[in-house]
This record gives sequence, C-alpha cells and structure tokens, in this order.
Amino acid sequence: MTSHWIDMINADVVMICGSNAAENHPISMKWIRRAKEHGAIVLNCDPRYTRTSSFADHYCRLRSGTDIALVGGMINYALQNNRIQKEYVANYTNAGFIINDGYSFEDGMFAGWDGKKYDNSKWAYELDDDGIPKIDRTLQNPQCVYQLMKKHYKRYDVDTVCKITGADKDDFLKMAEIYTSTHKRDKVATWLYAMGTTQHTHGTQNIRTYAILQLLLGNIGMAGGGINALRGESNVQGSTDHCLLFHILPGYLTAPTTAHVDLKTFLEKTTPKSNDPKSANWWQHTPKYMVSLLKAFWGPAATKANNFAYDWLPKRNTVHTHMHIFEEMFEGKIKGGFFWGQNPAVGGPNSNLERAALGKLDWMVVVELWQTETATFWKRPGVDPKTIDTEVFMLPAAASVEKEGSVSNSGRWAQWRYKCQDPPGVAKPDSWVIGMLVKKFKELMPTLDKTGVPEPLTKLYWNYGDHDEPDPHLIAKEINGYYVKNMTDSKGVAHKKGEQCKNFVSLTDDGSTCSGNWLYSGSYNEDGNNMARRGPNDAMNNIGLYPEWSWCWPINRRIIYNRASVDLEGRPWDPKRWVIRWNQNLKDGKGGWEGDVPDGGWAPGTVYPFIMRPEGHGCLWATGLKDGPIPEHFEPMESPVRNLMSSQQNNPPAYVFGTKTMVGSTEYPVICSTYRVSEHWQAGAMTRNLPWLAELVPDAFAEIGADFANRLRIKNGDRLAIETIRGSVEVYALVTNRFKPFMIDGKQVDQIGVIWHFGYEGIVKGDSANLLTPHAGDANTAIPEFKAFMCNVRKVV
Amino acid sequence: MKALLHDMTRCIGCRGCQVACKQWNNRPAEETTFFAGPGYQNPADLSAKTYTLITYNEVEQNGRFDWVFGKLQCKHCLEPACAAICPVEAITKTESGAVVVDRELCIGCQMCGTVCPFNVPRYDEEGDGKMHKCWLCFDRLEAGEVSACAKACPPQAIFMGDRDEVLKEAKRRIAAEPDKYIPDIYGLEEAGGTCVFHISNVPFSALGFPTDVPKEVIKVARAEIIPSLNGINPAAIAASVAVAGVGWVIKRRTELEKNDN
Repeated sequence: MTSHWIDMINADVVMICGSNAAENHPISMKWIRRAKEHGAIVLNCDPRYTRTSSFADHYCRLRSGTDIALVGGMINYALQNNRIQKEYVANYTNAGFIINDGYSFEDGMFAGWDGKKYDNSKWAYELDDDGIPKIDRTLQNPQCVYQLMKKHYKRYDVDTVCKITGADKDDFLKMAEIYTSTHKRDKVATWLYAMGTTQHTHGTQNIRTYAILQLLLGNIGMAGGGINALRGESNVQGSTDHCLLFHILPGYLTAPTTAHVDLKTFLEKTTPKSNDPKSANWWQHTPKYMVSLLKAFWGPAATKANNFAYDWLPKRNTVHTHMHIFEEMFEGKIKGGFFWGQNPAVGGPNSNLERAALGKLDWMVVVELWQTETATFWKRPGVDPKTIDTEVFMLPAAASVEKEGSVSNSGRWAQWRYKCQDPPGVAKPDSWVIGMLVKKFKELMPTLDKTGVPEPLTKLYWNYGDHDEPDPHLIAKEINGYYVKNMTDSKGVAHKKGEQCKNFVSLTDDGSTCSGNWLYSGSYNEDGNNMARRGPNDAMNNIGLYPEWSWCWPINRRIIYNRASVDLEGRPWDPKRWVIRWNQNLKDGKGGWEGDVPDGGWAPGTVYPFIMRPEGHGCLWATGLKDGPIPEHFEPMESPVRNLMSSQQNNPPAYVFGTKTMVGSTEYPVICSTYRVSEHWQAGAMTRNLPWLAELVPDAFAEIGADFANRLRIKNGDRLAIETIRGSVEVYALVTNRFKPFMIDGKQVDQIGVIWHFGYEGIVKGDSANLLTPHAGDANTAIPEFKAFMCNVRKVV
Repeated sequence: MKALLHDMTRCIGCRGCQVACKQWNNRPAEETTFFAGPGYQNPADLSAKTYTLITYNEVEQNGRFDWVFGKLQCKHCLEPACAAICPVEAITKTESGAVVVDRELCIGCQMCGTVCPFNVPRYDEEGDGKMHKCWLCFDRLEAGEVSACAKACPPQAIFMGDRDEVLKEAKRRIAAEPDKYIPDIYGLEEAGGTCVFHISNVPFSALGFPTDVPKEVIKVARAEIIPSLNGINPAAIAASVAVAGVGWVIKRRTELEKNDN
C-alpha cells in the first residue's frame, strides 16, 4: 500500500476492483464503513456479485481478465472529459515527458519487439544535451506522454469497453463519473486491489491502469488516496520486503545475475542515475544499502579487500519463479527442496504437474503446522507410495502466536508480537530450524564441501545469541543496522562500534555499518524497538496516522509519495485532510515540514515528489516493464473470444507453459476463476483442521449462475465436474443469481468460479481447484493466471 | 438495560460473529455437508450448539439485485414468554437485558421453545438435555464488555450499548439515510419490544424474519408440573392459561413443523 488501512476513512470514493475485500480482508470494512459514514461512495467491479458488492454502493460487472479494457475506458473518460488534476499531472507525473521517435504502437504491438522480447529503449524519454529528460509541462507536444496516452486510450470508448468486458453501459458510465469526480484538488479516491488484479498474464499492467488513473486524478500521496494492494497473508508484505522472491535481495535490491561479475559491475548496473538536479533519485544510495547488507551477511569476513564478500552471493542466470521451479523439478533437474509455509500440492497452479514434480525429488523437507497435502503427496489418492522414491522429512513448526517477532501488514507497519504460549510437542519456531541448519552446515561444510568455496556458509555471520533459537531482538537489531566500528560520519558526528543506526541515512558503503534491510532501518534504533510501540495518539493533522503505533517503513512515513499531496509552494491540495505542509515558522524561520514524515525534507518545489524514480515523477508512462510502456488490453491466455482491440490475442512476453487459446472452443467454452472465502485460509491447512471453520464451509464448491445452471439442468447441491485441458475436479454446485452470463461482442459467455482451499488432508477434504489452473504467468512477475482460464462444466450423474 | 443492534447494511456475512459465539460459549461444531440453506448458510438452523446464525438472502428490489445477510439469535424480549412459562423459573430477564437460562435449574421441558415467537430456545438432545440459546454473553455484560459477536464483527455491523442509546442510534441511521434504509426497526414492537434490533435496506419479509409477530407482549402463565410416576416428563407439563399471542405462536409452530415434514 502507498497508504495504510486506517487511511481508507479519509476517502471520498473507495474503489474495490480486483479484490473481494469483504471476503478476504474483512477488517478493511471497518475503515471503509467509517468512510461511508461521512459520505464516501464505495464502488466495486467483479465478475461475480460478492460479499464486497453487497457492501458497495455501485457495482459494475466485468468478465475475468478484462481490467485493462475497463480501466482503460475510465482513463479515456477522464482524458476526454478533462476530469484530471491538471496541476498535479503537469508537475508531478511524467505526462509532459517527450518520448523518443523510436516509439510506435501498431495493432497491439509496441515498438521494439524482436519476436521474443521487447527492447524497451524504444519507449525511452528523449534527453537534452545534459542527459535530462525533455519536458513540455503544457502537455501540448504531440510526442509527450500525455498526448500519446490520450491517443492510445481514445480507442477505449464506452461501446468498445462494454463489448470486451461485458459491463453494463450505464453501470460503467456511472462508475467512471463517480470515480473521476475525485479529480478536484480536495476530493480523493482510494483504489484497493488484490489477487483478482495480479493473477493474470497481464497482471502488472492491470495495476498500471489503476496507478495511471490515480495519478491523473491527483490521488497518490493524498490522505484517503493511493494505490493499495491488500496483501493476502498477515506477513506477506514483510516476506516480500525481506526478499522472499527470487529476483530481489532484502529491501528490493536486485538479486545479482551472472552478468554482475563483481561488486563494481553490480553497483554500476543496478544503481539508477539521474542528471536532473531536481531529482532526488533515492536509489542512488544503492551502494550504501548493498554494502551494509553484505556486512550483515558476512560480518567481519566482508572486507573492502574482498569486495565485501560479494562473490559469495549466488548469481542467477535464469528465472526461478514458482512455475519455473516446478517445471524444472518435473524435468528432474532439482534434487531436493524445503517446503516452508507453502503447500504447492494445493496452492500451486496445475497441481497435477506440481504433485508429480514433488515425486522427482530425492528428498524434501516440510516445515509446517499440520501434515499438509504437500507433506503427504506420496500417499495422495490414486498414487501407490511404492512408486515414489522421495524421502520426506516432516518438521513440526510453531504457529505465529508461539514465537516472538515482527509482522508487517499491507500498510507497511512492522508490528512486534510476543509469544503467548509454547508450541505443542516438539514443534519449533522456523528460526530455530534455520539456526540449527546453519550450525550443522558450518560444522560439516569444511569436510563435505565439493565446490571449493565453503565460505558463503562457513563465514556466514550468525551472531544471534547462544541459544539454538536465534534471538529475534538480535535479528531485528541487525536488520535495522548498527555501526561495526568506531567512526565519524559526514556531519562530523562520532559513532561507537555497536551503536544502532538511526535510520538508513546513517548507512555507508565503506563497511562501517551493517544493515540486513535498509528499508527497515529505523525500526530498532537507539530509541529501542520501535515496532513494539503502542502510542495511542494521532498526529497533529488528525488523519489517522497514529505515528507512535508500531513503526512503518520507510522511516515511519505513513503515506508515501506525500510530497505530491502539496502544491509547489508546499500548501496541501486538500487543507482539510492534509498529510504534510510547509511551515515557514519552523526551524527558526528556515521553514520545515509538519504532519507525516515527508518524502525528504527539501523545501517545497525544489525536488520532484516521486523520489524513488530517477525521473522523480509519477509514471503514467513506464519505461522499465517487459510488456509495454502503457497498458494495452489483451485476452487471458485462455479466452473464449478474439481480442477486439487488436489482432494480437495475448500479452506477447507472458510466460506460458503448454496452454492454448480457446477461442470458439466447444470443448472448453466456460470461463473459470478461482478464489477464496472468508471461512478458509489459503491452501486450507490452518482452517480445514479447525472444526468451527470446517462447519461453515465443509466442502469444495463452485458457484454457477442460475441461468447457466438451468441450461445444464443443474440444481443447487448437485455434484459438478469441472474439466480443463490439465485436469478435472468434482465439487458441489452453488446455484446463484450472483453470476450472470456476459454478452461479449454479441456472443453469450458463461463464467463460473471455484474455491481453491481444498485438498486430501484435514478434517474436511475436497478436490483442489488448482488441478484446473494453468502454468501461464504475468510477463513481469510470472504470477500464475489463476483468475481466467477455460473449462467445461457438466453435472455428475 | 443493554441492547444489540444488527445493521444489515453494514453486515458482510463473514460469520466472524458465528465463530466468536461458538468460541466464547464453548459450543461444539456441527457436522455439515455443502450448505444447509441458501448461499453459504451453515448449519441449517439455530441449535443447542449454534446460538447465532447468519443467513444469505439474494433479494431483487426495485430492479436492483442485492445480497443481504440476516442474523438469527435470541431477541431478548422485554417481557419474555419463555421466562414466564418456565415451570421451574430457570429463565430470567436480567437487569442487563439478557434473557438467561439457568441450566442448573432447567429440566429440559421445552415449554420455552413452544411459546417463543422467534423459535429460539433449543433442546440439547445429544448433550445435557437442557435448553440452550443466546444469552447475550451475560457473563461479558456483567464484566462491562460487549457480546462476543459484537466484539468480533469487523465492519462493526453489531452495535451494543444501553437500550435507549442503541434505539436512538438505529433511528439516527434510518433518518440520516432514508433512501437506504427501510423505515422499520425489527424488535421495536415485536412481542412487545425486545433488546435485539435489526435495521435493513430490504423488507424483513425478504430475509425470512417472521413479520407477523404480535406487537403486544405474549402473555402466558407459568406452566405447572404434573407429577408422574416416572418423575418429570416434559409431555406432562401443562401450560394452563393461554392469553394474547400464544394462539399465534402455536399456529406458527404448527406451520414450521409442517414445513419440516
């Protein structure tokens, strides 16, 4: 989230699109309800009328996988009707940036396609002689982003949008009108999304459409605004921040590739540069964060002489997303695996393949609260355990309440939690398991190592106390960072070895500081464990920031990009719900910011507000993505209809393993989507083992529209077979008026949905919906396309 | 006197209340298959194991489709017929507003269930052989807390407070958004008034609420135990006098039984 949960109360319009927030994030409704109390209008777009729709004031249907068409239509509506925050757009977004002549867009293809990938230099900014992007803040230059975008989205007229999405024209127009009403300076809308947005082969571009609209309306950085991902697990924000994904190191530093042959090359290639004196280009500090990270990893063994042990970091030469790992496992290229807080036998796409892939491992270790379907894949229904050679180790794990540590929520708040009871039996915290592994590795590496480079493990700096379980406070202190030797900083202030760094501004690239994650620097400094704070008071602007409750990254800034919430003089666009403002009386008349922690303390108008971008502006136009500078509608990889926008059916660079388009297919004519219910949690281990929750939703089911069910002579409670080219499931049919057929370009298309929480373990069992889902993923993130694929439905008799 | 307001325009049907109720009152799960009622409803009905139950109602109103969530539970009548008829005085209308069954005294005769206009008290056939129902988390109220369901509700669709204030709040909400709410407060007059109110954007009849409950207190006389050789036999208890309202209750009970069959 660019803002945080409580901030939703400040919105005039709340859009929930790509999220069933009432279902999957019920607590969000506490804050949205409070927004409604002071007159906020809640909008919801979803293929199905959900618990969220019932809470919303206006609902608009769309066919799964057509967000870009829908929101592209809203962008067009805003541009054509001049419903934009002009001053914000001109000064704070890259609307006025001139794009180089190499750019073109023709029939669904952007310039630079070589048959496999895009060369995105074709979409780059035109630079002046000093290497600074050329900007026309009047937005008139035909080659500026604003004009290119206006031309691009003109194609997304209301009729075309409704033909593609199946949205009702009146519903769409009403929604566009209400949403774009927040283009006024002191009106603001928040956009909430989740997996309904991301789980598409064009998921990143889906989000981009929301971001573009929010920037055009001047809603980013404002109280009650922002672009807000509702994260699907209590600590998924924390796990991403701390580099759960293959392509990043902690704090979103790039994970090195084989092209980054040494530290110097790595830093040169991954540190963005800007020649514009008004651009803060915050990532210019990458070397400080990287060297401090290496110092945290290898401590005294990381020295200037050995490039701070950079060579000991693994380098990647290919993509290692979930799907790629399982494809390689299936091919027998992976020998062993740890399955930790993850249950791919239920949660992974194309589970038949993924379950089979597990059987190709020599060994696997499952660290879990319960015996999950992954732990018992070798005795799953229909499989003879004798045919599986994988050796499986089950390590019982402690639950979150049985250990101490921090949890980061969607609003970036790191909140400290305490242990409330001992884990049952021999269950241990994850960190204990890791600690013991490290201890054993360090012991065995010198004799067992065959690589000749045992140092990554033998020299690993593991200083988290004397107990088998690493001390969470020592880990948190290292993440924050501390001085590893006596030093004097650039301002002449002396620091002692062991002193906690104040925040990331203290970090250095000379090896005198360490920090396990620069973004969290400030969370545990000399003031103490800031994540454990429970101060009940709001800040002076009274917009629900509660700055002394827990701690939030970066440096306790509750609403990021907040320098965009003021005009060039530092006056809030919205004086009633101001986030920061410039007060000339502060600092002995030198002036300063008050309110939230500003995105940098520079005086108003002196530095561009989007400090994490090298160009310093909010990106209507994105030059760094793999699938185009502005979102264009493509059909899901499996779709019943031809793309009406161009002859290019699918997102060209999407990751695809063995799916095919289903246009006109009579075999698989029905759109299917998978989703969750309030009563169950993800792959279900934590809820299908609890009787009270099992009572509420005891069986896997699919929702099917009454009209469609009638045509198939299916009644509520009948058993349904759902089949795709990958697998089939048998589930109960819930017949409902909340699903209705779509008219797509004059053709009727049906959509169903099936919950994916079920499997063959637990006190309630059922077929896993992921037996149906494809190995096809987003071009940028490779997140699987769980939300739109083709199936056949029939009644089981 | 406390009261509880369930605002259906705020309820998201997440059933946090249903689980919190089971947890606080230590009620076991029921065995279910698929769904036992419309939408996601489970289990089928209130029972000795289930004191509150969320219902899922697909409603078509003025050409707009909606999905509205109802909440079943004891309404905690101002003058509860269940307490009046109980032959052993096991049911009390407490000062806090909660109508509480003392299961130390309860003999499981089920007379309370017979006269309840909302069909709430249930006999625990598998367990203690006594009557069970929502008691408005009387123990929590005594400790100055709200009920478990109110505490758990994420969108704060359940509101608890002094009865006067709760009623005022219900009226305030309806007056503030007359286009959204129907003008009625369920529980204001039903059975002479209750301590559980519902407000809604669709008519209560569309949600399966009994809408013909008499407006006056259902007057019954205390049942008498007729001694028998076999000890106390529920069948051998006579409700001696039936006055206003009981005729309605009996009629409704007969209808319900007919439906069950």
